[in-house]
Amino acid sequence: MALTGDLSTFNFVDIFQVIARDRKSGILMVEWKDMTVAYYVKDGELVFARPVDKVYRVYAERHFDSLLNKLRISKDKLYKTIEKFFLPRLNNREGIFSFTLGFIKYDSDVPVYIHIEELIMRASRTLTPEEIERKISDELLTFEPSADVEEKLGKAKLTPEEEKVLSLVDGEKTVGEIKRLAGIDDLTVGRALYGLLAAGFIRRKKREVKPKLSITLDLLTKIIEKIKVL
Amino acid sequence: MKGIKKIKIVISGLFASGKTQFINTVSEIKPVTTEKKTRGEESKIKDHTTVAMDFGKIKIDDEHELYLFGTPGQARFDFMWEILGEGALGIIILVDSTDPASFHEARKIINFFQSRFPVPTVVGANKQDLPDAWSPEDVKIALDIEDDEGIPVVGVSAIDKESVKNVLLTLLDIIKKHLESK
Repeated sequence: MALTGDLSTFNFVDIFQVIARDRKSGILMVEWKDMTVAYYVKDGELVFARPVDKVYRVYAERHFDSLLNKLRISKDKLYKTIEKFFLPRLNNREGIFSFTLGFIKYDSDVPVYIHIEELIMRASRTLTPEEIERKISDELLTFEPSADVEEKLGKAKLTPEEEKVLSLVDGEKTVGEIKRLAGIDDLTVGRALYGLLAAGFIRRKKREVKPKLSITLDLLTKIIEKIKVL
Repeated sequence: MKGIKKIKIVISGLFASGKTQFINTVSEIKPVTTEKKTRGEESKIKDHTTVAMDFGKIKIDDEHELYLFGTPGQARFDFMWEILGEGALGIIILVDSTDPASFHEARKIINFFQSRFPVPTVVGANKQDLPDAWSPEDVKIALDIEDDEGIPVVGVSAIDKESVKNVLLTLLDIIKKHLESK
């Protein structure tokens, strides 16, 4: 099953959040205006980028090592493909993406040039106010550091502004309060929160749901039984 | 004569996420809808859309009826979310699993309801019958829903009665757990 969408409404920060969360492997195809590029993902990390003239060529080779042999690329040069075909496009929203889970077989270790957390943070620095509003939609939202934030910090180089915002996330302060206390412009704070959330450095503070339920257990059981036989 | 007690569940979600179909699939009456012809970009997606609300009804017994209220999905009608959310037993938020653009909007709706009406909530990842549908697990990640947030994301096809019933039963099960823990 493929995850498909449009970069104008679901950007690289969002895509990588989904790929990174359970360390997916597969091929991310992006149809840019000027070319189509296949981005190879192993265990949630972007490891290789390859422009293709015909999409079917990507799916003609299932073994990563033999693909590299055919293309005559050594593993220590893979990072150059990411530098050339991915990093300059972080700010580009004119593309259609499709992520196919699995398919490619990685028979051996592949070096990781830039961790996905770092890519997410870099991509988050290009977000527009409208994009930020999609996740950080309310000044009353509260976030808390993730349990593994220390481990993740080794995978991305945060800017001083992002470090400041991260230091203010404590499960108590709202987005509005963080904006006031950070001493940084709102756009930078919003980008930092969006990136930190997508990269898994922070998470939404769980809200305690205490519903005022004006219904008895007997009546609820009756409703459940009714729904079952509809 | 004793009046019929109305029990309310709200079905919300972005434009074209399938709310009206969801209600239509399980309602025992022909759903009451307030639709208008769409214009501009919206008209490319569907001809008509709900502008105030629509509702369906399921008779529970001689004294109780379960109402399913659909709220308009577009953000410009968010005042209706507030009106319909008041007093709801629970909320089902539908997303179009084939359109990741709708995921962000769904999160906004979740934030809205969670901060104002903290009632049991279920997300229905709709249109699972279509080939480009994202899996419920991926929709959940895209919506930033944590495992311990207590908001299940359930795959559904609003045209399929059994899967609609499954979403309703998931919500009712959460409500039951709340009642039992009291």
